Amino acid sequence: MAGMVAAIKAKEKNADVTLVDKGYAGKSGSSPYAFWYAVFNPEWGHDLNAWMNHVNIIGEYVNNREWTEIVFKESYDRYQELVSWGVEFIKDEDGKVRIYRFPGIETESFQVKKRVFGQVIREQAKKTGVRIMDRIMMTDLLKQDGRIVGGMGIAMESADLYVFKAKAVVMCSGCSSFKPDGWPVSSLTGDGEAMAFRAGAEITGKEFNEPKSTSAIHPAPTMGMFLWRRDESSVSTRPDPGPPQVQALKGVNAEGTEVFGLVGSNFIELEFEAHAGRAPILSRTPEVQELIPMVGGAASGMSIHTAEGLWPVDTNGATTLEGLFAAGDSCGTMQVGAVYPGVGYAICGASVTGARAGRGAAKYAMQADKPEIDEKEITRLKKIIYGPMDRKGGFSPRWVTQVLRNTMIPYFIMYVKHEERMKAALTLVEFMRDHLAPKLTAKDAHELRLAIETRSIIHNAEMKLRASIFRKESRGTHYREDYPRRNDPEWLAWVILKQEEGEVKITKRPVPKKWWPDLSKPYEEIYLNRFPGE
Amino acid sequence: MSIERIDPELCNGCGICVNSCPMDVIRMDEEGKKAIIQYPEDCMLCGWCVVDCPEEAVYISPEKSSPLIVSWG
Repeated sequence: MAGMVAAIKAKEKNADVTLVDKGYAGKSGSSPYAFWYAVFNPEWGHDLNAWMNHVNIIGEYVNNREWTEIVFKESYDRYQELVSWGVEFIKDEDGKVRIYRFPGIETESFQVKKRVFGQVIREQAKKTGVRIMDRIMMTDLLKQDGRIVGGMGIAMESADLYVFKAKAVVMCSGCSSFKPDGWPVSSLTGDGEAMAFRAGAEITGKEFNEPKSTSAIHPAPTMGMFLWRRDESSVSTRPDPGPPQVQALKGVNAEGTEVFGLVGSNFIELEFEAHAGRAPILSRTPEVQELIPMVGGAASGMSIHTAEGLWPVDTNGATTLEGLFAAGDSCGTMQVGAVYPGVGYAICGASVTGARAGRGAAKYAMQADKPEIDEKEITRLKKIIYGPMDRKGGFSPRWVTQVLRNTMIPYFIMYVKHEERMKAALTLVEFMRDHLAPKLTAKDAHELRLAIETRSIIHNAEMKLRASIFRKESRGTHYREDYPRRNDPEWLAWVILKQEEGEVKITKRPVPKKWWPDLSKPYEEIYLNRFPGE
Repeated sequence: MSIERIDPELCNGCGICVNSCPMDVIRMDEEGKKAIIQYPEDCMLCGWCVVDCPEEAVYISPEKSSPLIVSWG
């Protein structure tokens, strides 16, 4: 969504636009699973303050309110634009767009027609004059005199090298993950964030989580939601109980006690139940009475939609690197905060940030000098990119990925955090970074892709561990067993990671005080959710 | 197993499923001009191939096993 909208908006500003996609533009990234779209319109009786307060409170006050407001206010224009391009939204029998409301959630959402909208936007992009290059995996950004001047990538089937010169680059590579088998975020390996980090960009939001659960019987097609037949029925065993963010009743633990969670919290409560020795946890919702065993970690390694990635320095998605813009889940707008607080913010946010970044990048490109690229830099990166194919011996990317999963996915590392355990995991991840990643091998183009992805998920693990160790408090989906309370004076702040001279520099950037909650109120009134041990 | 089978009798060789797969699991058999499952272990069960196949030749299952971890590999 973000990439194609950005491309269209940049082209509308008369830029010469090439869209490069690791998959097939319109079907890659999160597009198989995207359908909720939040639309704010005061003419429908929506109250901006109420919508904002919902995100502020559930997001535990570390959302960037400027971005939250921008996305809500521009969601209707983007929705209308999508409709004008031919994107279909689900309608009721009376022909009006169906509005979805959920208990405990102030905001309302529409549904785009599943799986179809991507191709419709792709056609619009082609009609607008965007040049689309499918199945090319970008691997590195090209930097010259402190400015991003293009990137390099490989073709999926031939492994041929592609070098792109560009006056501006918009990064729209989605969120990161540990490439779990579970919830299908396997394609979201954070390659864009990793290459931007290597180039010196600031990264944020890594300490928060998307704690999705899944069926213990069929853990790969999470919750039965996403494995549709052609008629959109599910082939999995568990009926779709609705968006996990709105299920207050999360399940029944081994002691027979029903487990409830705060709206938006997804399933982090189940990780706490497991830690207390009360697994297995069986799912039961008001809609689905049959008890089915659940397990967690299905979206492991993912932070929160719209709240991780490249730190934007303005409201057009410009990043800390000149010439580099970001949009969608690659852009750490912190539009939501420490918790994904509802339904439909991700692709709504992707369309808004995509439009802004596309226009911003086009404006920048119009005044930018023609990029010059040092051939020595291309030669240097080429050697790194093809290293796994040139190497005679080493480790397979699938094995290294599995080692990383085994280190990072168990609940006691990223869901129930403790400094000692995270430092132990970081030691292993640093070993993978320094000793396994440089010895990755690939026997064909597909394995070369896997090797590059493996390098990216090692980066993601390191960033998530470092940010989580650094934030010495609990907040939203970041739970520290050793610091189980929020610490507002210290941590109403965003964590920023940056690479400088080969070292990871980590700092915090305060949330403006005007956005803080009223700290004179009792803690229990400010924060609705209780952490174990606080 | 996740993606289980592409029925060669039904496959018309259009190659749509190759493009549809975000995980690069499917390739074209240049000799047989049919789609083949080249990297089944990387299927993430998104179902694009099933939805997009005009001949309904692709079969997937919710079953998927994680690889056994060994000392090196």
